Amino acid sequence: MQVAFLETPSMWIIGALVAYAFAYYVYARWVDEHIWEVSERRTTPAHMYLDGVEYFPVSRYVLYGFQFKSIAALGPILGPFIAVAYGWLPALIWIVIGNMFIGWVQDYSTIMLTVRNEGRSMGPLVYNAIGERGRKILLAYLLFYLLIISAVFIYLVSLFWNVFPGSFIATIGIIITGLIVGELLYKYKANIFGVTALAIILTLVSVGIGTVVAWPPKNYFGQWSVQIWSIILAVILFIGAIVPLPKFITPMNFVAVFPAIGGVLLIIFGALISPVTGIKLLQPAFKGWYVENVGPLFPILFVSIACGAISGWHSLVSTSTTGKQLDVETDARPVGAGAMLTEGLLATSALAAYMVVSPDLIAKGKISAFVNGATLLTAPFLGGEMSKAYLLTFFSIFLVIYAITVQTLVTRYWRVFSAELFRRGSWKILGNKYVATAVGLLLPIVFALTGSWIELWIYFGGSNQLLAAMALTLVAFYVAKMRKPTWYAAAPAAFMTLVTLAALLWETYVFGLVTFGLRKPFAKPPLTSYPAAAWALNVVFFFVGIVLFVLGLYMSYALWSAYARARRGEVEAKAVSP
Amino acid sequence: MVRIPLFRKKKEKKVEGREGFSEALKGVLYGFAVHGAATAALKTRMHMEHLFMLMTLGDMLGFPIIPPYYSLRILPYVVPNIKAWKERLFRERDFTDLLSG
Repeated sequence: MQVAFLETPSMWIIGALVAYAFAYYVYARWVDEHIWEVSERRTTPAHMYLDGVEYFPVSRYVLYGFQFKSIAALGPILGPFIAVAYGWLPALIWIVIGNMFIGWVQDYSTIMLTVRNEGRSMGPLVYNAIGERGRKILLAYLLFYLLIISAVFIYLVSLFWNVFPGSFIATIGIIITGLIVGELLYKYKANIFGVTALAIILTLVSVGIGTVVAWPPKNYFGQWSVQIWSIILAVILFIGAIVPLPKFITPMNFVAVFPAIGGVLLIIFGALISPVTGIKLLQPAFKGWYVENVGPLFPILFVSIACGAISGWHSLVSTSTTGKQLDVETDARPVGAGAMLTEGLLATSALAAYMVVSPDLIAKGKISAFVNGATLLTAPFLGGEMSKAYLLTFFSIFLVIYAITVQTLVTRYWRVFSAELFRRGSWKILGNKYVATAVGLLLPIVFALTGSWIELWIYFGGSNQLLAAMALTLVAFYVAKMRKPTWYAAAPAAFMTLVTLAALLWETYVFGLVTFGLRKPFAKPPLTSYPAAAWALNVVFFFVGIVLFVLGLYMSYALWSAYARARRGEVEAKAVSP
Repeated sequence: MVRIPLFRKKKEKKVEGREGFSEALKGVLYGFAVHGAATAALKTRMHMEHLFMLMTLGDMLGFPIIPPYYSLRILPYVVPNIKAWKERLFRERDFTDLLSG
């Protein structure tokens, strides 16, 4: 069945592709040539400090793949689910504008910051700009940030396992495949091509077994099902955080790569050929400026779609690894800007999956909307009705692996950050490997008890985007030191600072209303049967919001002050010529 | 220095055409699937080597280690790595560096 081109998501995907091409070939190239004045002749830290371990030159293609894999997670896939509550048009505009003028600017520029500052990562860069206190506050801020990410991702994986029968079995299949692959690669030194083929086959078989068995059914553990799934997940994450990386996390992530790439390509292809397959847009373009239980379009829209438009996480990846391995400065654009714009394409495709599902699913907050939309887009060219059951399991596992692969690393980071923060003094026990991991899992599980993941997601988006705003301000500070035009980083930094602080303040205000008894607590069954516990958790969220807001406000103020000093010429200038 | 496939030397001549595309695709897939694991494995080895070098040659950096007989025996083998070892060990590390493994 063929439908009018304009009634399908195809045109919007093509439009986004054109916009991203403009951003990459015109805007990014201009910034590359006129602001950073990149040169192949300037020695990068990868060559200057070459040690074959942390600093070594890597091909731009390898770094592009690495950067994309490190930045792509659940953000661009589930963020549009919240944003589409305002209609698909505001979500699409934010994804495209965010990518064109803000997202790639941060990823690319933070890579360049590291390259031009002797391979320094985010902490030392902040230290140079605002001193030791700023660095410590950044560490505290990151700990809260990791806590919120964990709460959201642990809850969502547990929810997926509960809602999609068979997804748990498929996940276990992928984990076992990872363990087998790890042993074959590291212990028996097996051929990589053969092992990869085996990994792909076992992954597809795992999804098939999950589809056929379709066990356990929804709410298998009764009303506490999601919470029990959280504990099961916590056990897996605990093992992942304490055993050596090559034993568990690395091979599991290797296996998870294949369904992750495959899923993205299938959705993009399905959206592009939707005029041929006859899949139409069903969502309204615009629904309203305010959505009950989500909040006002400004500022919530800009934090609900996080990684798909801009994300602070990317600045951490860019400065801690990518910038140290850049072969030549001219590679920063294909690696930093290229990977970010590709993630923008992933967010646009995820949005396409929400555009084609019934508005009811979004209105009722059904988390299955993405899985249904992706299946609708891809089933017509993958066997029609016959393949639908398999595709439903495949896309549910697609969601699970995007969350679980990042969450394993987040839990590990929590552990090493805790070890750094609590290495001395009376709180030393919190830096212990096992205690830190247990605390890093227990707190998020307690947070997730409320089931109000949309509110937690807004906290996550707010803190993540605020980190991005800090990174952009840091870029503006260093560009000002170079005596170059700063507007390209300062303008997005100002916008993101304003919007994220407003979003954090809004969410804190909402939990404040609950705290002072002016609104019912945010809670879902079974916690609704325990109103005192639900209220107490909402009070905790209120204080978490205050802490995030205050830490974020301090960091923003300190960084903007540093930027102002650099603009006034009170900071020593840094040359840009080779 | 440890060699990993697909490292590129500075200003290497670019490969074009079908071969170039194949190289690019191979590189992207390698980066997506393996590069992080390879880097993590290198870092694990680095930490082990640091520990070994510290136990045997720590006195070179001022650690109060009584020079054992075996330090002298292994000296010829570790000499090429001493400079890089000192640089890596003395390099300032921040908590944000921990993100890379």
